Amino acid sequence: MVALGFRNAGRSVPRLVAVTLLIGAGFFLMLVMHAIGRAVEAHTAALQRSVDATLQVRAAGSMGHVNMVAQSDILPPEALDKVKAIPYVEKVETYLLAMTPTEGHNFAMVVGVNPGDTKRLESHGEAGTGRIIAGRDLTAADRGKRVGVMGQGFARWAGIHPDKLPAELILDLTRTHPVIFALDRPAAKLSIVGVYASGYVFGDMQLFMPLDTFREIYGVPRGLSWLYVKADSAANVASVERAIRAALGEQADIIAPATVAEFQTTTTRSVLRLTAAGMALSALLLAVIVYFVMLLVVRQRAWEIGTLKAIGAPNGSIAAAFLAEAFAYGLAGSALGLALFLGFGAPLAKQAFGLAVGPFIPAQYKDTLLDVLSVSAGLDAAQLALVVAVVALVSLAGSAHGLAHIVRLSPLQAMRQE
Amino acid sequence: MALIELRSVSKAYRKGRAEVWALVAIDLSVSERGMVAIVGPSGSGKSSLLHLVGAMDRPSSGEVEVAGQALAALPENALAGFRLRTIGFVFQSFNLIPNLSALENVMLPMEFAGVASNGRQKRAEALLARLGLEARASHRPAELSGGEQQRTAIARALANDPPLVLADEPTGNLDSKTGEMIYELLSEVALERTVLVVTHAEALARRASRVVHIQDGRLSGNG
Repeated sequence: MVALGFRNAGRSVPRLVAVTLLIGAGFFLMLVMHAIGRAVEAHTAALQRSVDATLQVRAAGSMGHVNMVAQSDILPPEALDKVKAIPYVEKVETYLLAMTPTEGHNFAMVVGVNPGDTKRLESHGEAGTGRIIAGRDLTAADRGKRVGVMGQGFARWAGIHPDKLPAELILDLTRTHPVIFALDRPAAKLSIVGVYASGYVFGDMQLFMPLDTFREIYGVPRGLSWLYVKADSAANVASVERAIRAALGEQADIIAPATVAEFQTTTTRSVLRLTAAGMALSALLLAVIVYFVMLLVVRQRAWEIGTLKAIGAPNGSIAAAFLAEAFAYGLAGSALGLALFLGFGAPLAKQAFGLAVGPFIPAQYKDTLLDVLSVSAGLDAAQLALVVAVVALVSLAGSAHGLAHIVRLSPLQAMRQE
Repeated sequence: MALIELRSVSKAYRKGRAEVWALVAIDLSVSERGMVAIVGPSGSGKSSLLHLVGAMDRPSSGEVEVAGQALAALPENALAGFRLRTIGFVFQSFNLIPNLSALENVMLPMEFAGVASNGRQKRAEALLARLGLEARASHRPAELSGGEQQRTAIARALANDPPLVLADEPTGNLDSKTGEMIYELLSEVALERTVLVVTHAEALARRASRVVHIQDGRLSGNG
């Protein structure tokens, strides 16, 4: 009977053509919406990959440099444990910072980090991380030792040649600068074991040493300058930020990467909701088309249904035939919709995006997002599965009323309906 | 033993606000094998009687028992199973499924009965051959003459080897010569089972082993 159902779909060629066109248009619309949604998801994922989901935490109102004028407040020791206990926190990296004068009004940064942690350059890591060009990086074995790795600019100023490592560096903590105050600490001798390059002038003016070594040299037994708190995903940055604020209160300033979170909350979510609504409307339209077609079919073939019942067809067999017929219309329409999508999907998706989605997203993305988005009219297994699932669903939903009507009829009632 | 037993069977239809009695207190007993013709003018209730016996409709009152089965007790789905096993229908308008070939039409009741594909094809081919339609097996109804269509319908009615064949004006849409051939076939069929035929045709009634006259919903002569 399933085979009969499929054959029944071809009984009226004009009807098959009309239904295929209508269903094809609905599927095309649905695939376009799906493609837009996927493009925005891909764009968001790319943003998430390219933007660090890391927050910087430092003492409120302070840069946290232990010898910087009016900026020397650091985080209390308990801050680390409080932050580590926050959900979605994947990793916390601890920094201690100081400054040391170089030429004129210039200075270099001295950073204490745990070996193995990221050695971020510049204040928020915007210069990236350095690449060792001579010697070696810090290792776990360097903890507590008087060793360091410095940028090539700072090394040049200090007269250290990358080809002659390890080299000795003397840190004079009593030297001052308009923004650096003197520390009453003895000069420290460090062995420079590596030189890095960052391609960024100020990024090359830094010196990294183990955190314990920094504590000893600068006389900071407790507390931290900065915490770098890595959330487990960009989506959880906002949640982690709220939790840190709740845990540390007014003690800390938090600098969070807002770009991805803002894009996700204002744009990705809106676009995905709109495309989901568009897809749902398309599916509804398809179900309505199938509903009316199958209602017409049931009415036109009442006599045939009556005959089938009279010769002993169980309701299940008749229902299977009508469902197969609805599924055949759905398949024909989806094939047309897929062909249209492959042919015209990408350009029309951009038009549809401008018309249907554009008005609902923030102005700062409206004009540029469409250029950035890569709307693909390609097909993959997930899309094909979606199409087949929608065909099955709308066939079932669209035929339900007609099928219920068939089941209720006695053979004689069916024959007399025509 | 009677194959069909009708006891005090009445059937009323609603026509607007009015109630029209198609059958009134019918008592009828039909034995196994042989042809019984139900004869009467249009609107006399003969088709209604056939529909009740064929479990296509339910009586307003009274009892219908066919092949030992009281039909009133059966739900709709069970009635479909009953029709499948017990009844073969032959309609005035043949009622073949238009987009199936003659062979496929004959195979259809066997598909419902769960007969394996090979088995139903063999039996359908044998039935069509018996009715002289082996060369027309692959043709669709629209490509067959009226007589060929009705013979195909008879083959379909015999597909599941039912004990009872119900024929509603089987020659009503055929010329007299073709009608004669159909009478012949039904007579043959009646040698091995019961054929209950509703007809206007005196010629067919004369071939019946028993003629039941019906008028205004009542049996007027029960020969």
